[in-house]
Amino acid sequence: MSTGSEDGVLRSILPPGRVNSVFGFCGQHAWTLLFVGGVLGALPPVFGLEEGYYMTVLSEMFLFGILALSWDIVGGQTGYPSFGNMAFFGIGAYTTAILVKDVGTAFPVAMVGAGLVAVVFAAIIGAAVLRLRGHYFAIATLGVLLAAQQVSRNLEITGGASGKILLDVPPGTAFYYLFLGLLVAEMAVVYYLSNTRFGFVLNAIRDDEEKATSMGFNTTYYKTAAWMLAALFTGAAGGGYSLFNTFINPQTAYNGAWNVELIAMALIGGSGTVFGPVIGAFGLHTIIEIVETAFVGWQLVLLGAAVIVTVIGFPEGLVGTLREYAGEMEYYKRGGMAATSTDDTEVATDE
Amino acid sequence: MSKAVDAAATESAADAVLRTDGITKRFGGLTAVDDVDIEVHTGEIVGLIGPNGAGKSTLFNCITGTLSADEGQVYLQGQDVTEWPEYEIARAGLGRMFQETRVFGDMTVRKNLLLAGQEGGAGVGDLLRRPDDRLLGAAGELLEYVDLGELADVRAGRLSFGQQKLVEFAMELMGDPDLLLMDEPAGGINPSMLENLIEYIRRANRNEEATIFLIEHNMDFVMEIADRIYVLAHGERIAEGTPAEIRNNQRVLDAYLGRE
Repeated sequence: MSTGSEDGVLRSILPPGRVNSVFGFCGQHAWTLLFVGGVLGALPPVFGLEEGYYMTVLSEMFLFGILALSWDIVGGQTGYPSFGNMAFFGIGAYTTAILVKDVGTAFPVAMVGAGLVAVVFAAIIGAAVLRLRGHYFAIATLGVLLAAQQVSRNLEITGGASGKILLDVPPGTAFYYLFLGLLVAEMAVVYYLSNTRFGFVLNAIRDDEEKATSMGFNTTYYKTAAWMLAALFTGAAGGGYSLFNTFINPQTAYNGAWNVELIAMALIGGSGTVFGPVIGAFGLHTIIEIVETAFVGWQLVLLGAAVIVTVIGFPEGLVGTLREYAGEMEYYKRGGMAATSTDDTEVATDE
Repeated sequence: MSKAVDAAATESAADAVLRTDGITKRFGGLTAVDDVDIEVHTGEIVGLIGPNGAGKSTLFNCITGTLSADEGQVYLQGQDVTEWPEYEIARAGLGRMFQETRVFGDMTVRKNLLLAGQEGGAGVGDLLRRPDDRLLGAAGELLEYVDLGELADVRAGRLSFGQQKLVEFAMELMGDPDLLLMDEPAGGINPSMLENLIEYIRRANRNEEATIFLIEHNMDFVMEIADRIYVLAHGERIAEGTPAEIRNNQRVLDAYLGRE
C-alpha cells in the first residue's frame, strides 16, 4: 500500500464503501446484468452495424472473452495455469473445417461436434497432465499444444502445413451472434457453478488441494471435469473460428501467442471471477487492436509490459483488486483487526 | 487364546471407531512407526503423545490414507480401509485437522464451512446443487458458536492464526465426522483461547458425538482433556493408560527425559 495521504486521496475519490455497494448490486442482480449485457451486445447489427472491420473486431472481442473465461475455469478458479488451452481451440477448428468441407455436415452440427471432440481430447490428456502441478503442469500443457500443432502439420486430412481454405461460409453477422451467444452462455454457466459444490471444490483445490482431499473430495475428478468444461467452450469457439476466418492452418489454429494473450486477459481482468476475464478480454483486445493499427508489431511489447505490471502491481487483477479494496472496509468495520491483534501478540509459549 | 478373551476382544473391536493393527511405516532405513496397535472407542477423547520425531504425525498420515502403511491394517468402524484412497476414508467419517492450520484462504469463512458441510455422492446433480437453507443455517450457527459470525464474509486468509484454527474446527464440525483426528490443536494458541478450545472440543465430543483422537505437546492440555493416552517413542508404542497412569509411568518419563 502507498502512504497515508495518497491513500486518503484515493479513498475520497473512490470510497471503499461505494465500491462495495457496486459489488453488492452486481451480486444481487447478476442474472439481470447478464441478460441486459447480452441484449445490448445483440443490438449493434440491428441498428445498422454492417459486416466489416468493426463487426470483426467486436466478434473477436466476444471470441477472446470465451477463451479467457474458459482458461480461467482451470487457470483461475482451480489454480492450474494452462499454456495449452489453444490445443482445444485448434482441435475444434479442424473438426469443423473437416466436417464442413470434407464430410458436408451442416455448420451448427459441426460446431457441436467440435466442442465434443475437444472434450474427449481433454478427458484423455487431462488424466495425464492434471497429475502435475504448478510449473510442471504449465510446461506439460505447452507440450500438448506444440504436439497437437505438429500432428495437424503432418496429417493429410488437416491439409498439412498449408492448412484448409473454407469458402462457403455463413455471413459475418452469424458469427457475431454465435460468439456473443456462446460468451453469454458460458458466463451464465460459470456464474451458476460458482455457488455450487462444483465451484466450491474447484476453489478449494486452488487454495489447498491436499486439504480438499483430506475433506473427502476426489480432486482428480473435479479437476478433470473443469478441464473438460473449459475444452467444451474453447473447442466450440475454435469450431466457429475456422469458418469465421475462412482459413485454418497449424499456426492460426494452435496459436501460442494467443494462448499468452488470453492468460493476460484473465489475469488483468481478475482471474477467479466471472466478469474479470471477460472485462480483461474486451479491454486488452481493444487496446491491442488500436496499437496494432497505429504501430504494427508493438502490440506484443505492450502485452508483455501489461502482464508484468499486473503480476507485480496487482496480481488479483482489476476486479480482484477492487473487491479486495471494497472488502477491506468491511473487515475493519467488523472488528477483524482488533481480534487479529490480540490473538497474534499473545501466542502461547508452552511448547 | 481362550474363548472368553477372544469374545472380549471381538466385543471391544466392534465398538472401536478406529483400530490399527500392527501399523508399520518405514522411510528408507528409518522405521518411523513400528508395529503400532491403537484402539479408539466411540465417544472417547484419546490423546497421542511422544517426543519430537516419535512418529505421531506419520501414524496419523497412515490412518488418513495420506501415506500408505508398509505393514498392518487400519479399521474404521470395523471396515478395513487400509487400501482406500484418502478421500474415501474421509467420506467414511474421518475428519482431520492439520498441525499447521489449513483453511481455504481465498474463500470466505462462510464458504469454507459450506464446502465442509457437503454431503452425498459426486453425481452431476450433487455437483450442481447450491447450498440449501439447512446448510446455510448450520454454517451460520457454527460461526456464531465459535464467535466468528461477524467475519463470515471475510476471506479466511485475512484472519489471524487463532481465528483460522477456529474456522478449521468449525469446518470439521460441519462435516460431522464420526472420528476427528486433531494434530496439535493447542499449538500456537493464546491461553484464553485455549480454554475456549477445550470447551469446544468437549462440547463437540458430547453433543455431536464426535470421537476425538489428538496429538498434543501441551501436557496440561492433554492431561486435562483426554480419557486415555497413548505414548509413542521412536515409532513404538511404549505406554497406554489414563492421564494419571501416564503421568506416573517410568518409561514415559524416561522417554521424555531422554533416558533409555
